[in-house]
Amino acid sequence: MLNKIKLFASNNKQLLSMLAAIAGMLVVLSFTVENFMTWANITNLLAQVAPIAIMAAGVTFVLITGGMDISCPAVMAASSVIGVAFMTRFEVITGVHLVMGCIILLIAGGLFGLINGIAIAKLKMVPLVVTLSMMTVATGLATVLNGARGLPTIPSSYANFFNKYTIIGMLIFIPAILDFILTGTSFGRKVYYIGNKEETARISGINTDNIILIVYVICGVCAAIAGIINTSSLLTARATMGPQSQILDIISAAVIGGVAVNGGKGRVRDAVLGAFLIVGINNVMNLIGVSDYYTTLIKGSIIIFAMGISSFKENYLAKKAI
Amino acid sequence: MGNKLSLQLNNISKTFPGVKALSDVSFVANPGEVLGVVGVNGAGKSTMMNILGGLLQPEKGGKIIINGEEVSIKNPKAAEELGIAFIQQEVQVFDTLNVFENVLASDFNKWTKGKTPFLNKKDMKAEVKKHLDALDCHIDLEAPAFSLTVGEKQMIQIARALSLGGQIIIFDEPTASLSDHETSKLFEIINNLRKKGYIIFYISHYLDEIFEMCDRVIALRDGNKTGEASVTELNKEQLVNLMLGHLVEGAVRKDARDKDEIVLKAQNISGVKFPKDVSFNLHKGEILGVWGLLGSGRSELFNTILGIDKMTAGKILFNKAGKLEEVTHKQLYKHVGYLTEGRHYDGLFLDMPISKNITSSYLSKFASKLLGILNTRKENEESRALMKQVNVKAVDENMIVSKLSGGNQQKVIISKWFLKNPDILFMDEPTKGVDVGAKTEIQNLIFEKSENGMSFVVVSSELEEIMNLCDRIIVISDGKLVGEVSKKDFSKESLMEGIVKQEEKDEN
Repeated sequence: MLNKIKLFASNNKQLLSMLAAIAGMLVVLSFTVENFMTWANITNLLAQVAPIAIMAAGVTFVLITGGMDISCPAVMAASSVIGVAFMTRFEVITGVHLVMGCIILLIAGGLFGLINGIAIAKLKMVPLVVTLSMMTVATGLATVLNGARGLPTIPSSYANFFNKYTIIGMLIFIPAILDFILTGTSFGRKVYYIGNKEETARISGINTDNIILIVYVICGVCAAIAGIINTSSLLTARATMGPQSQILDIISAAVIGGVAVNGGKGRVRDAVLGAFLIVGINNVMNLIGVSDYYTTLIKGSIIIFAMGISSFKENYLAKKAI
Repeated sequence: MGNKLSLQLNNISKTFPGVKALSDVSFVANPGEVLGVVGVNGAGKSTMMNILGGLLQPEKGGKIIINGEEVSIKNPKAAEELGIAFIQQEVQVFDTLNVFENVLASDFNKWTKGKTPFLNKKDMKAEVKKHLDALDCHIDLEAPAFSLTVGEKQMIQIARALSLGGQIIIFDEPTASLSDHETSKLFEIINNLRKKGYIIFYISHYLDEIFEMCDRVIALRDGNKTGEASVTELNKEQLVNLMLGHLVEGAVRKDARDKDEIVLKAQNISGVKFPKDVSFNLHKGEILGVWGLLGSGRSELFNTILGIDKMTAGKILFNKAGKLEEVTHKQLYKHVGYLTEGRHYDGLFLDMPISKNITSSYLSKFASKLLGILNTRKENEESRALMKQVNVKAVDENMIVSKLSGGNQQKVIISKWFLKNPDILFMDEPTKGVDVGAKTEIQNLIFEKSENGMSFVVVSSELEEIMNLCDRIIVISDGKLVGEVSKKDFSKESLMEGIVKQEEKDEN
C-alpha cells in the first residue's frame, strides 16, 4: 500500500504540487478574507474559473502537439456574438431558438478552429502567425456583428438554465472527458507522439496532419463552450467579452499546470488546476484591494517564479543524470 | 610543438547511480600516436572521453597528468585551455555563419579591432586560411556553412580545434557520415597531425578503421580496461574478444531457397531530384540490398517509394493475396515498416518510455474499435515480449528511451516494426552506430524474420555487411539503377562495375 502511494506520488508530482498550492491559497484566503469559506462564495468562484479552465483545456491539446493558439478569447467572443445574433433575430425568443443558437455558437467555434487547423496542418503556416491573425479577424467579425448599438439581451431563462451549478458541472465534466481523451485513447496518444517528435510520428504511420487539424478544432470548440458560459452572465454577447489579454491567463494556466510549451508533455487535469490558481490570484488581489496597476505586475511575477522553479528543477535534475 | 607533450591517466574511476562506468583505468598516450579506443556501447568510452573533455569529474584517487603536471579538468573551458579538443560525431557548425566565422566562433572577442566591438575580418581570414591550408583544405572562406558537404564541415571543426591550440584531439566516430572519398581525406589529415606530434584519440565501431589508422588500441569492457596493444600484435578476432569477452560468430544466412513470389514491384520510380526511373522487384522472404556511394540517392529511393518525398512518375504494385495490384503510398504504408537512418531524428520518441515507442507503429491493435480506448496493460505485455525477443537491455518497458545506449535504441525501433509485422521492412543503415555484439544480433534477427516470409530492403554503406546480409543487391548511382548483382557474384568489383560504367557514360 505504501509503495503504491509512493508510486502514485512520483508519477503525479505536478498534480500534488498544484493541489498543495491551491490548498495553500485557500488557507490564506480563508484567514484573510472575511466570509470567504461560504458556500455562495466558493460556488461563485468555481463558476468564475470555468471559462478560463475550459479554454486552458483546449489550449493544452494544441500546446502538447507543439503548436500555439492565441485566438481563443477572440474566438470565444466571436462565436458568442454569432450565436446571440442568431437568437435575437426572432421577435419572440423561445427555448428552441436558444438551443439552436447554442448549436450555431458551437459550430462557429469549431469552424474558427478548423480554419486555424487547415492553415497550420495542411498549409504548414506558423501557428503563432495564423492564430494571431485569427485573433484580429475574429475580433473584427464580432465587432461588425455586434453593431454600434450592441446586441439585444436574451431571455433570462438562458441564465436560469446555465446557472452556476450547471457551469460547475461543465467545469468538472468537460475537462474530465478531455483528459480521458488525451491520456486514454489512441487519438490522445498520437497527440503526445506528435509533440514528442513529429517526424517520428509520421514515419510510424500516423496521419499527423489530421491529428493537428483536429486539435485546433477541439480548441475552437472549447472556446465556444466558454462563450456559452460567459453569455449566461451577460445575457448577451459583445466583441469585448474576450479581451486579448485573457490569452495570457489561459496559457499561463496551462504552463503553470506543467504543460510544455514546446510540446510532448502535460495533462488537461493539471492545466485546469492551473486555471484555479490563476483565477485565484486574480481574486485574491481583487479581494485584498490591490490596485489594477499592480495586479498584472504581481501576477506576471508569480507566473515567472512558478515557471522558473519547474525549469530549474528540470535542468538541475538533467545535469545530475549525465 | 614542444617535445614534452604527454598525457597520462592513472586509476580513473567513475560511478553512476547503480553502474560502475569506469574502474581503475590507466594508460599513457604518446605524442605522434593515434590511440584507438574500442568497446561496445556502455563500455565506458564516452565516460572516459567526457572526463578528458571536462564534462565529468573522476573519482578520488584518479589522476590526469598532462606534460608531467597533474591537472584537474573542471569544465570544458579548462579542457580547451589544456589543449584538449573534441571532434564530435555529429558535425556541429553554425549553418548561417560562413567558414571563417565558424572556425573562430568560440573566441570572437580575440579578433576585435582594438577595443571596438567590430571584428577584424582580414586577420580572421588569414588565421583561418593558415589552419585550413595546414589541413590541405581549400574551401571558400566566405561560403556559408550550410552550403558545405559533411566532410567540409568536419574540416571546419578540425580547424577550430587547431586554432584553439589543440594538441590532444579526440575523434568520436568521425567517419560515421562521411563518403569514401571524404574518409580517405580525413585519414590523410590524421596522419599529418600524427607526424606533427599531436596526441590523437580515435573512437570507432568500425574495426577496419582502427587497424588502418591507429598505432595502439585500448579496449574497454564494462568500465574495465581489458587490453592495450599495438595494432600489429592483434588481429580482428582477438580485438573483438577483448571488447566482448567472448568470440562472436558472424550472422550466417541459412535459408537458401529460391524466392520467386513477388511482393513489391516498383516501376519507373522518379522523384524530384532522385531517384531517376528506377524499377525493381522484391520477392517474398528476400533480403534485397540497395548499394551506392553516399549521395547516390539511396535514402531518397526509399522516401519516394513510401510517399514521404514526392513521386513525380512511376507505379508501385503490391501483392495482395496473390495478385499484384497498383497501390497508393498510403495503402502501401499499411503493409511496410521503415527504419530510417536518423535514429534520433525520425526513429524514436526520445522522451517517451520504451513501450510507447514500440506500440506507436500499430496503435490500433491496442485500441477499442469504437472509441479508441487504449489497453495499456496489453501494450506493456506485448512490449515486454518483444524486448525479450529482440534482446533490448533495459530495466523495464517503462524506461525512457533516451537513457538507452545506441544499440539498444536501434533494437527498440526494430521491436517497433516487428510489432507491426509488416510484409516488407525498409531499413536504412540498420546497424549504424551500433556495436559489434548488437550488430550480429540485428543481422540474425533479419535472417530469422526473412525465413518467416518478411521481405527486407536494406541500405548499408558497409560493403561487408550488405554482402553478408543480402540475397541480391541493386546498385544506385546518381539516382539511377546501374546494376544488379546476385549472391553468387558478390564482390566489391562487381558492385563498383555499374557505377564505373555509368560515370564513363556520363563523361562521353
